[in-house]
Amino acid sequence: MSKLALITGTRKGIGRALAEHLLEKGWRVAGCSRKKTDIQSANYHHYTLDVADEAAVVAMIRSIKRDIGPIYALINNAGIASMNHFLLTPAETCRSVFETNITGSFICMRECAKQMSRQKKGRIVNLSSIAAPLNLEGEAVYAASKAALESLTRTAAKELGPLGITVNAIGPTPIDTDLTRTVPREAIDSLVQQQAIQRLGTTQDVIKCVDFFLDEESDFITAQTLYLGGVA
Amino acid sequence: MSLERKEIAALVLKTLHELGEDLEKPDLATGDETTRLFGARSSLDSMGLVNFIADIEERLSDEHQIDITLANQSAMSRTHSPFRRVASCIDYILELITEAEKNE
Repeated sequence: MSKLALITGTRKGIGRALAEHLLEKGWRVAGCSRKKTDIQSANYHHYTLDVADEAAVVAMIRSIKRDIGPIYALINNAGIASMNHFLLTPAETCRSVFETNITGSFICMRECAKQMSRQKKGRIVNLSSIAAPLNLEGEAVYAASKAALESLTRTAAKELGPLGITVNAIGPTPIDTDLTRTVPREAIDSLVQQQAIQRLGTTQDVIKCVDFFLDEESDFITAQTLYLGGVA
Repeated sequence: MSLERKEIAALVLKTLHELGEDLEKPDLATGDETTRLFGARSSLDSMGLVNFIADIEERLSDEHQIDITLANQSAMSRTHSPFRRVASCIDYILELITEAEKNE
């Protein structure tokens, strides 16, 4: 039986590319997003929900196990950004970014880890961003949520390590997706200037890192955040 | 979805007995509703309790399609934890299922 991954935020962008990549490799993939997807594959199962809705996520993850099988890998990709000056950022924006980027990721991790602990193995990969280490201006709330996600990654890695579960994060550079399309060109350029390798990232760059973390032989690699483009 | 107390009790005790056998703890393997689930007089350590709770959630989901989270805010904020003994745990699960049914 092929491995099963749950990927959040598969309707477009990195999440969709990751789903298509794993499907091509012969994996079974469960994906979710707030809207429907047009990914067509007998090995793909889509759930329409908000990752911050605890009851809906719990029901989805248990239904995946009942109907498809136990989850081997979770890729927490769903996320929202907010570009605004610090002084003009509404508190509601802060709450909503943290609800999706932290609470949503946390609930998915907790529920998947319960299943993975039965199998005595599992892989969790959280999608962070170089916005966190670079303290990106204009993205204070987004960068803070990704910094929190990296902290969650490290602590969860400690608690889940004895259960055979690795937890890592990837911090991509800007990639041409819907999430970055609304960011002014100058802001993207300024970010790229701070990278050791000065170019936009691609979904392929992220896929390489995900493959590395998901590999069964990567079982001694946990609590790490891998930044792309030479950001430290 | 509705479950009676005796069905929940059977599910919880079956989970406890299996865990007791896995952990080679005879008092858990033959435990009853008075068995303590945590504290100095319990044979379950903190990870044992975590596994016990996760096992019950999984059984409720797999066998009865009931998807509830036992370790929720309500459980954590009570003066007396619902997980102190098997009996209080059974009563708490019954309460959660009844509440979930009301909200459906």
